[in-house]
Amino acid sequence: MEELESIVEPEWLDWYRLTPQERWAESERLWISYLAMGGSLDPEPDSQSPFYDPETPCAVPADGRPGVRVLRRGGV
Amino acid sequence: MGGQACVFYGAAEFSRDTDLMILADAANLERLQEALDELQAVRIAVPPFEARWLERGLSVHFRCSTGEAAGMRLDVMSKMRGVAPFPDLWSRRTVLEIAGTEIDVLSIADLVRAKKTQRDKDWPMLSRLLEADFAARRSLDPDGARVEFWLRELRTPALLIQLAAKHPELTRRVVTFRPLLSLALAGDEIGLRKALRNEEDAEREADRVYWEPLKRELERLRGAERAQK
Repeated sequence: MEELESIVEPEWLDWYRLTPQERWAESERLWISYLAMGGSLDPEPDSQSPFYDPETPCAVPADGRPGVRVLRRGGV
Repeated sequence: MGGQACVFYGAAEFSRDTDLMILADAANLERLQEALDELQAVRIAVPPFEARWLERGLSVHFRCSTGEAAGMRLDVMSKMRGVAPFPDLWSRRTVLEIAGTEIDVLSIADLVRAKKTQRDKDWPMLSRLLEADFAARRSLDPDGARVEFWLRELRTPALLIQLAAKHPELTRRVVTFRPLLSLALAGDEIGLRKALRNEEDAEREADRVYWEPLKRELERLRGAERAQK
């Protein structure tokens, strides 16, 4: 089947072609960067989750944490 | 069985917690409690860590507070809507080796079933998981069972049409279980896209209905815990 290449975006194909171990390693690298930028380990608020509790405090955004200085803030 | 399993199988998810599917028997819960104690894991939400809640289909949520695991979230569950009981899941699990450690992961077919939830974020993940499986195995002369799995589960219209064209007899047999495959046989991509959307909507609605009484139970448990504090 030639099809997959014409249907799926190249960056996805590249990701699919990695072995599970390679994907795990890539994911670990992403984690290190995420944590270095002050990323939270709390899950993002998900109002569609059956376990969502609006009264549970949310994680502080990374740009609101001590040690992270925002040099330029984008608009919305 | 959550985001990490998706990464193993080829989807890309940045998951901030670890989801564990367990057998909720007394001996196993005791072993798990010992492991949680080692990680200094604290339960951070209802329900309590008891077999009866796990057996009802509720997850128990923990946060670890020691060593490299500090801050990590752990969610534990033992039953999911539309997914086989634990012994079946265990018997067909995938075992991967990462850095010398063996990791037991839900089979791709079970993971796909588990991801059919009411949440927006799970549906693109499903498409990716199935495309990744297709990409990995299409050149390996897949057997009938694998092709049937794709016919039953793939969510990419163009791939379904191509698969149906290549395996028309099998597709006609599977139409009984997945009627939208008749559109794949007819090469009707627009119709197929719409039918896939309807299929998704029906699954999401079924998941909402399944969770309605459980959400009420969670609300009751939250109220009781807050009243105690």
